[in-house]
Amino acid sequence: MNTTINTIMSGRRKRRRRYVLITTILSIISLVLCGLMLYLGNTIYTVEQIVRVLTGEQIKGASFAIETIRLPRMLAGLFAGFAFGLAGSVFQTMLRNPLANPNVLGITSGSSVAAVFCIVILHSNEFVIFIASVIAGLATVTVLYLLSIRKSFSLGRLILIGIGLDAMLGSVIAYLLRISSEYDISKAYRWLSGSLNGAQMEELPPLIITVVLCTPIIILLGKHLSMLELGEQAATSLGVHTDKTRIALILGTVCMIAVATATTGPIAFVAFLAGPIASRLVGIGYSTAVPGGLVGVILVLASDLIGQFAFETKFPVGVITGILGAPYLIYLLIRMNRKGDF
Amino acid sequence: MKPKHQFQAEHVVSGYEHRRVVHGVSLSIPSNRISVIIGANACGKSTLLKTMARLLKPESGRITLDGKSTDQYPPKQLARIVGLLPQSPIVPEGISVADLIGRGRFPHQTWLGGWTKKDYEAVAEAMEIMKITELANHNIDELSGGQRQRVWIAMALAQQTDILFLDEPTTFLDITYQVEILDLLTDLNRKHGTTIVMVLHDINLSARYADYIFALREGTLIAEGEPSKVISSDLIKDVFGLECTVISDPVSGSPLIVPIGRHHVNV
Repeated sequence: MNTTINTIMSGRRKRRRRYVLITTILSIISLVLCGLMLYLGNTIYTVEQIVRVLTGEQIKGASFAIETIRLPRMLAGLFAGFAFGLAGSVFQTMLRNPLANPNVLGITSGSSVAAVFCIVILHSNEFVIFIASVIAGLATVTVLYLLSIRKSFSLGRLILIGIGLDAMLGSVIAYLLRISSEYDISKAYRWLSGSLNGAQMEELPPLIITVVLCTPIIILLGKHLSMLELGEQAATSLGVHTDKTRIALILGTVCMIAVATATTGPIAFVAFLAGPIASRLVGIGYSTAVPGGLVGVILVLASDLIGQFAFETKFPVGVITGILGAPYLIYLLIRMNRKGDF
Repeated sequence: MKPKHQFQAEHVVSGYEHRRVVHGVSLSIPSNRISVIIGANACGKSTLLKTMARLLKPESGRITLDGKSTDQYPPKQLARIVGLLPQSPIVPEGISVADLIGRGRFPHQTWLGGWTKKDYEAVAEAMEIMKITELANHNIDELSGGQRQRVWIAMALAQQTDILFLDEPTTFLDITYQVEILDLLTDLNRKHGTTIVMVLHDINLSARYADYIFALREGTLIAEGEPSKVISSDLIKDVFGLECTVISDPVSGSPLIVPIGRHHVNV
């Protein structure tokens, strides 16, 4: 008995160490990237100057560049990246399918339809666009969940309905763009491609508050989430309220996704890539929520830096993450096809 | 020894969206014994088991544990008394054996707390009962079907319930593993007094391993009792529509059915 306990303990300790180590490394990389976001730009300021600006000192030139341009951009990337990464990996774990993802299931498209509608038809201001896209994201997921529960929850039904919704909403976006005026089109496209450009300090509080409020709830539900992985029947017989858990997790993650999307636009593939990368790194048996969030941060910030500085033309962050994500999606589809998951 | 419990189904009607499968079954599970539910395909035996283990809500009637309807228990509290091994549980890809078995401890754990000493002991004990201690830190993907099934049962054991439901625990296993699993479950029942209720396909193994048999036909209970008293050629004809002779199992003395069929009949 005692030797068995020791074997189990040492195995768990080893896995735990790996989890802590990887999470620490991911945090450090995220911090370094945050630093680079403040450091790099048209003018390079010294670290000392940056610190002085951040602690509230006014330095001519540096204060403007850092406080009004680089800092909001960095914070938008940090919080939106975390939100996309965390929400994406929770969705994938909860629905036991790497394709099950706010992007694929039409939630992002729901937000996008509302935003594009507000831009090209109503010519609304930023605030209205923001509120409308958050509400539309939440409404889309409500419709999706209600359609997929019927008498009992079905995973397959949810994914199929989600893909259907996504296609439908996609065509609405295409229609709206078709009838819009030339000036509005470019604004709509900028929103749709996902960008940290022009992030402003006063737009950030809703995103930061949502992330700060929702993350602990999702971490608290981590154990319940890992039970859902065992399937509906096993989870129920182990005493999990599967419906309540799922609704709480969906609400928490979709709030994050909707608010992040409303702030930065849908940054392609981050929610989709972060989970699988995180679980590859930390190993399975651990919640990938936090590491997934950190991978999201790294993807967004690194892609934004690449988009800003690697080429002669500047690209919005969504273009770079799109280039990274598309091959992975194809790889995943091929692998699932080989395994006979379809 | 596990405490005695009164577990009953009262006039249970249950089924799926467009199809009612169980038509008013009342039964009482013998405490601290092994019961087996037998019946032809689609007779409602799995549905009945799922309803008793609260995976399905009965359309009417109720399931009671110690006189109280099971849906009145908080789920976690009930999960400390009644466990279920589903027919096809889903394996989280790449999880280690010990971690998977540890998930059976969920009803005993708090929201955030890690494993307590009791959790380690329960997992180790479950692994020892199922004889899989050497697999503790293996990846579940590396195991054979028989080993996996033992891991799943160990997970249900780590839950440390007094009553354990198993939905066809031996399906897809070679005969050797079938006997091995049933032997291990019998050990569990004899040593710990765990009440076991399972659905089995093989009538002869059911007759040998069950203390008590429930026979279902088209969603109604048509016979119950000790195997030696209920299993007869008439019952088998009734339940499965199969002509057979019943002899005494030369190994265990339990009833052994020998199907007749249309060919190879010498008598």
